[in-house]
This record gives sequence, C-alpha cells and structure tokens, in this order.
Amino acid sequence: MTLAEVLPTYGWSQALADLGQISPIATLLGFMLFAIVADLVIPPKRRSGVVAMIAVTGLAYSLGTAAYRWLYEQGGPAYSGMATGDSFALFFDVLFASLGILTVAISHSYLQKRGMREGEFHILMLGSIIGMMVLASATSLVTVFLGLELLSIALYIASGFARDDNRSQEAAAKYLLVGGFASAFVLYGMALVYGAAGTTLIPEIAKQVSGTAANNPLLTLGIVLMGVGFAFKVSAAPFHMWTPDVYQGAPIPVTAFMSVGTKAAAFAMIIRVFAGGLPHLAPEWQALLAFVAATSMVVGNLMAITQSSLKRLLAYSGVAQAGYVLIGVIAGGKIGLAAVLYYLFVYMFMNFGAFAVVTLLAGPDGDRDRLSDLSGLYRRNWPMAVLMTIFMLSLAGFPPTVGFFGKLFLFTAGVSAGYTWLVVLALIMSVVSVYYYVRVLVPVWSTTGRAEPLRASPSSTLAIVLSGVLSVALGLYPTTLLVAAQFGALPYGGP
Amino acid sequence: MTLTAIWLLPLVGGILIAFIPPRFAKWLGVLVALVTLGISGGVALAFAPGYHGYQFTEQVPWIPQLHVFYHLGVDGISIWLVVLNALLTVIAVLATPLTMRNVNRFIGLMLAMSAGMAGVFLAVDLVLFYVFWEAMLIPAYFLLWLFGEGERPARAAIKFVLFTLTGSLLMLVGVIGEYVFTGQQTFDLAKLATIAPSANIQFGLFFVFALAFAIKTPLFPFHSWLPSAYLAAPTPMLVTFAGVMGKAGAYGFLRIAVPLFPNPVGWWDWRWVIPSLAVAAIIWGALMAIAQRDMKLLVAYSSVSHMGFIVLGIFAYNVQGQQGAILQMVNHGIIIPALFLFVAWIADRTGTRDRSALAGLAPRMPVMAGVFTIVVLAALGLPGLNSFVGEFMTLLGAWERAPVLAAIGAVGLVLAPVYMLRMFQGAMYGEPVGQGPSGDIQAGQLALVTPLIVLMFAIGLYPYALTQLMTSVAQAGLYK
Repeated sequence: MTLAEVLPTYGWSQALADLGQISPIATLLGFMLFAIVADLVIPPKRRSGVVAMIAVTGLAYSLGTAAYRWLYEQGGPAYSGMATGDSFALFFDVLFASLGILTVAISHSYLQKRGMREGEFHILMLGSIIGMMVLASATSLVTVFLGLELLSIALYIASGFARDDNRSQEAAAKYLLVGGFASAFVLYGMALVYGAAGTTLIPEIAKQVSGTAANNPLLTLGIVLMGVGFAFKVSAAPFHMWTPDVYQGAPIPVTAFMSVGTKAAAFAMIIRVFAGGLPHLAPEWQALLAFVAATSMVVGNLMAITQSSLKRLLAYSGVAQAGYVLIGVIAGGKIGLAAVLYYLFVYMFMNFGAFAVVTLLAGPDGDRDRLSDLSGLYRRNWPMAVLMTIFMLSLAGFPPTVGFFGKLFLFTAGVSAGYTWLVVLALIMSVVSVYYYVRVLVPVWSTTGRAEPLRASPSSTLAIVLSGVLSVALGLYPTTLLVAAQFGALPYGGP
Repeated sequence: MTLTAIWLLPLVGGILIAFIPPRFAKWLGVLVALVTLGISGGVALAFAPGYHGYQFTEQVPWIPQLHVFYHLGVDGISIWLVVLNALLTVIAVLATPLTMRNVNRFIGLMLAMSAGMAGVFLAVDLVLFYVFWEAMLIPAYFLLWLFGEGERPARAAIKFVLFTLTGSLLMLVGVIGEYVFTGQQTFDLAKLATIAPSANIQFGLFFVFALAFAIKTPLFPFHSWLPSAYLAAPTPMLVTFAGVMGKAGAYGFLRIAVPLFPNPVGWWDWRWVIPSLAVAAIIWGALMAIAQRDMKLLVAYSSVSHMGFIVLGIFAYNVQGQQGAILQMVNHGIIIPALFLFVAWIADRTGTRDRSALAGLAPRMPVMAGVFTIVVLAALGLPGLNSFVGEFMTLLGAWERAPVLAAIGAVGLVLAPVYMLRMFQGAMYGEPVGQGPSGDIQAGQLALVTPLIVLMFAIGLYPYALTQLMTSVAQAGLYK
C-alpha cells in the first residue's frame, strides 16, 4: 500500500482513537515542546524554575492521563499495529512519569548548586522519558528502535551535562560509543528476524514464527544479536562494562534517572520482543537470558565489594539487580511477569532514593560520591541517615522492605518455572550483596567525619521521604501494586 | 489483637523511645516491656492445655496472590518462649545502665529486636515467620555494631550477620519450595505439616531449613560466629540475644524441620546427621569452655554445649525428648542471662574477666557469691534446680532412640561441672590476689536476678507445671 492509498481511509475518528491510545506520550510531548518555547522566550533571569514547573506539570498530566486510561478506557492497538495503549504500556507510563517527577524534584537544587543550565536539562529528561514510553508502547520492531534511540540520544547528552567536568565528558563519549554499538546489535538482530518472519509487527512475527520458520537459523542469530543489545541496555553482565564508568561520570540526577529508567525501559523492550514476538522460541532466548542472569548476579555482586565510589558501587549493584529481574522474565507467565513489573516499580523507589541522598552531598565543584563522603551523615542530617539505611536494607532484600517482597515474588516465579538453580545462585549472591550494602551504612552511622548540618531543599526532601515511605509501605501492603502488576502483565502473562 | 500487641507494642514503643530524650528512655522502655510481659502472661494463663492446635489465632489475608496470610497463634511450644522473651526483655531494659551513650537508641533497638523474636514465635505462616526471622537481624546488627564492646565490634557484627544470612537466605529457597513442591500452594504451617513432598524433595528442603537453624542455634560446626558476637555484645543485649535468639534456631527445628519433613532421606538420612552434630556440639562446646580464661567466652561456649542438648532432644523423635527440649529452651533462657550478668558484675567490680586473675572474691562479696552459687549449680544441672529436669528428659529421649547418642551426650554432663566449678572455685575461693573488688553487688542488681533465681527453683522442684501444658500440644503439633 502506498501512502496515497492509505490516507483516504485514515479518517479523523481513527486519528483521534490512535492518539487516545498513546495519549500519555502525546501530552508529554506537548508539554516538552511548550517547555522548549518557554525556555527560549523567557529572559534568563526569570527563567529559573519555570521550565521545571512545566516539566512537573507535564509529567503529572501524563501520569493522570495514564491512570485515567488504566481505570476507564480499553487499551488496544494503534497506528496499524505499530504501537499500543494496553495495560502493559500504561503500567510503564505511570512508572516513567513518576520517575520523571522524582528526578525533577531532586535536580532543581543540584543544578543551581553546580551552576548548570536548568532548562535544557529538564527538556532532555522529558525527551528521554518520551523515548521510554514509546518503547513500552511499541508493538513493532521499528517503533521499538525509535523509542530506544529517542531515550538513548537524550541521555548521551545529559551524561555530558557537566561541561567543565572531564569525567562527565568521558562518560558521555563512552556512553555514546557503547550505546551506538548496542543499538547496532539490536538493529542487526531485528533485520534478521524481519528476514525470517517477513514482518516487523511483533504480533505478526509471533504468528509467522509458530510455523516452519522456527527452524530458521536467521532467527536464532537474530535472537542472539538482539539479546546482546538488550543485555547492554539493562546493563547485564558480560555487557555491563560501560555502566560503572558512565554512572560515575554523569551528574548524579542523570545517573539516578537512568539507573532506574533505562533498566525498566529495556526490560519492557525485552518482554515486548521476546515474550510477545517469539513465544515459540522461548527455550532459545530463555537459555540465553539464564546465562546472562547468572553472569550478572555473580559479576555484579563480586565487583561491587571493592568499590569505593558510591556511584560505581550502585552501578555494580544495578548489574546484579538486573540479574534478579531476569529470573522473572525467564520464568514468564502470570506470576513471573507480574513479579518483574512489581520489582521494577519498587526498584525505582529504593535505588532512586539511594542516589537522591548522594545528590544532596554534591558541592559546587562536583559530585561527592566516595564512601567516606557519607561519613557523619547521621549527625549532619539524621532523617537522611535513617532513609539511606532503609534504601540499603531494601536493596539488600531485608524484610519488611519492598526489596524482600520483590525478591520473594521473582524467586517464587523462578522456582515454579523450574529454575531452582538460578534462584539458589541468586540467594547465595545476595549474601555477598549484604556485605557491600552494609558497608555503605558504616560511614553513615559513624561518629567521625564532617559535622556541619546537611541541608536539603524542600522538593528533594519530599522526593526522598516519599521514596523511603513507599520502600516500606509497598512491602507491608504489596497487594494493590501486585494486582496492578498482574493487570499490567496481562497482555503477555495469560489469564 | 492480643497476639499482635505482643510484637507490635515493643516495636512501636521502641521506635518512639529511640527519638525521645535519653533520660526518659529507660523508664518508658521498662513500662513498654512490662505491659508486653503482662499481655504475654495473660495469654499464658488463659491458655487451654487440653486443646490440640493453635490458640488465640488471628488470620488476615496479606498477599492473596501468593496465599500469604498474616496468621498468628500460640501452642504449647511457642507460648513459653513468648513469655520468656517478654520477661527477659524487662530484665534487659532494667539492666541497661543510664550512663550509656545514646541510651534511648539502645533501648529502642532492644525493644525492636524483642518484637522480632516475639514475631518468630507467634507466626504460623511460613512467609510471616521468615519476615520476622530476617527482620530481627537488623536491630541485632545495629546493637552489636553501634553499642558493641571490645576492639572491633563492627567486625563481629558483620560476621554474625553474614553467617546468619547465608543460612536464612537459602532458607528462602525452602520457603518457596514448600509452596511450590507440595503442590498445595499454601504457606500455612499447620496445613503444610499434613502434606509432605516426595522424599527427595524433603531431603533438599530439609537441608536448606536445617542449615539456617543450625547456624542460628548454633550447632557444631556452624558456631564460629558465636564467640565473637557474644564477646562484642553489651551485657544487657546478651540477656535477650543469648537468652532468646539462640532458641529461635531450636524452635525452627521443632516447629518446621521436624513436622514438615517426616522422611528427609536422600543420599543420607538427615534424622541421624543432626543429632550427631548435636552430640558433637555438646562435647566441643564443653571442651572449648574448659579451655577459656575469659569468663564471658567460657559462658558463651557453655551455651553451645547446652544448645546441643536441646537439639538432641528435638531429634530424639519422641515425647520425652521433645518435651525435655522445650523445657530446656526455657531453662537455658533463664540460666544464661544470669551467668552473663554475674560475669559482667564481677568484671565491673574487679576490672577483669580473666578467671585466672581472680581469686578469693567470696569473703569480700558474700551476697554475690551466694547467689552466684545457685546460678552455677543450676547451669551444671544439679537435681532440684531447673536444668537437671530438662537435660535428663532430653537424654532419656535420646536413649530411647539410640543409646549411643545419649551415652556420648552424657559426657557433656560430666564436663559441665569441670568448667563451671573451676571458674566458680577459682574466682570465689583461694588466696585473694590483687586489690580485690570495689564492693558487693547492689540491691538493685540482686532484685534483677531474683525472678530468674525463683524460676530456677520453681521449675526444678515442680517441672510438671510446665510440662503438663507441653505434653498434649507437643504431641498434637508434631505427631498426627
């Protein structure tokens, strides 16, 4: 079909219905354009804060739209099957919009302290969030790639946002090169899958592949190449090398944002493509992912032990956490995918919270993220010390925090699906992880080190306290979020 | 709501106390602990001995998707440990010196740890049990680390946590495995006891549970965290840490490992491995205690030896043995805190815990010497005092299962007087050396141990008061 043939049949009602399906993305896009204009028009002196306000409003609006559609509207395919507004997409829309709000809340005072341009920063974050949302809504390989690039390009720039900081520049360059490399892998894999299946629409691929095409070597190679690219993006070992360097170099709010956002978006992509498009080749990609999960848990946890920089430590912890989440993806089904969504959602609060506390430590000259920089935190600002303790215990998986319940769900799914060996490995490595998470707490509660009070801006405080409260509350009462996660996983989890 | 109050009250109280001015902390802490003791005591008095099953149950759906319930209950096994925990918490808070730095945080953490331990004994749902089991580690870690004594308390604390976690994180595989492999999708302990998975699965699951409990108890050869942790722990903490937390491991054996896995046979039979380790713990603990000069370490190793008797009784798989084990859990929880308190007071008066540096204290501390005699005699199992009955019953049970176990275990009874009396004699009698103590124990300290001394006599002379409540329930809970 040519464009001329398609256009007459594409009426206004169809256009509105399609736009409705992607309305959380569309509203955010509108606000982003508005923010760009505002940033250009308003004189620099009065500009401070306005763009941040626009960004928060847009994110809140997008979140509200997603919530409304979740509750009252029927999600379905849009744009001839290129995208969808199903519950899976909406779950991630809510996640990304919440993450965006948290990021804006902690970055305002950080940017002022370091003397960085605020407007561009928030606009880049919005762009990246739009990319993530597109990724979560994508039901075509083309849209998947579109979202992937959109989110990555914005983050390449954001990682280098500290222009006078060499490490930040290095991080940006490294991220660009490795990210481009990963994108190439994904694209190559997609091309091969397209060659085997004859279509880029993911539901169509599932139908094509169920038949004779399943034995096609092109398809196996395609899975491997895409798997490698995805592993890069979730920062799973052995494709995690870029993570610590980029996390360390990038300004902390960017690190906080991408440690949660990119990971969640990449998992959404894995589920969309593998569970959605290639269910008949599950044994192949499950074996690949099981290998990646096992390596990530071992490498991430062991490497984290010796780190003296908090950003690097949390980067390796993120590698290990990606391994845990992959267990849920491999297990699949209703409980497996629901566990993945639950974990990604609560991971946002515990991991972001930890980074947010480190953000407070930053000075005008740069980030202070060595373990020793935390020393005396208890005396400088005791609520932050208590919250940091909660985040670390949650990441380590202690009950009654969300980290424990997330792991309980993931591992239950893993054992149910017959991956007991992977779960046993995960738990053995969790013991290792306790060592380095607790190591972070040692300076927090030590009686030496700085003594001057540590001030936190109201918006940062609000974001961190909210993360801390939810890190416990969603564990003590996990039911509602778990129901939501099950509903979100419905498109791929079966009844 | 009664049982919920037993763990929630100390937790909420503890959190509040951590943030109030230190000078009010102790008395508010005592108040919270006393109210908790009152509630626990009330439950014990209202407890119906003839009823086979959990009493005072509370059940609310918690995570319906995984069939997890907030399900509490007490039976003849757990009620005693709940009361013991509440009693020792009162004593521990009372024993806390007001001069301690950040005394409010210390008492807050103590109450939180006590809440966690109460939860372990009250939980009837496996996930809930696990949550409390892990959660009680957090306050214990902070107590050891921030308030620990000695040169490197942080090291002892992290060693304790990593040892315990190695066991308990693997136990999570067991918890999940019970849910999946029994095919019933339930975490309810009462239901799980009626359905056993296949022998091979039982073999594996028993291993992960038993490892966790063996480390916590601790059983030979998993005891190496204990000396450093007990050495680092401040004395008020030791009252509940040594008095109750070790029992959580033995309780786990009795509540989970024995009834849920009646036939854990695979490459070998676990039902013989664990009692063998228990016997090894009895002998090894006693020998190590003999070798110690530091009295705190001596008592710590004697604890390893005594815990061996408890586990031996549990794995006798008969009523005498298990009844004796429960009784002995209570007895040990009464004796060990008293021993640690006396060691601390002696060290306080004389400035040393080295038993070879002490001599001839009795004439100058007559009251102390008199009371300490009772505690020491109770610890080595003199008839008429509480420990004798429990140890006798566990050995009787072990004899019925296999005479060889009882015979070797009884060597521990012979060794106990060696280390206990040597310590007592050396410190209390003989030619006085050095400057001598700065005074006898105070009236307040005497009042602190009085309830423990009374209980030593009461249980020793009339053990039937406790065992009559344990018989029926132990049988009902463990044998169908």
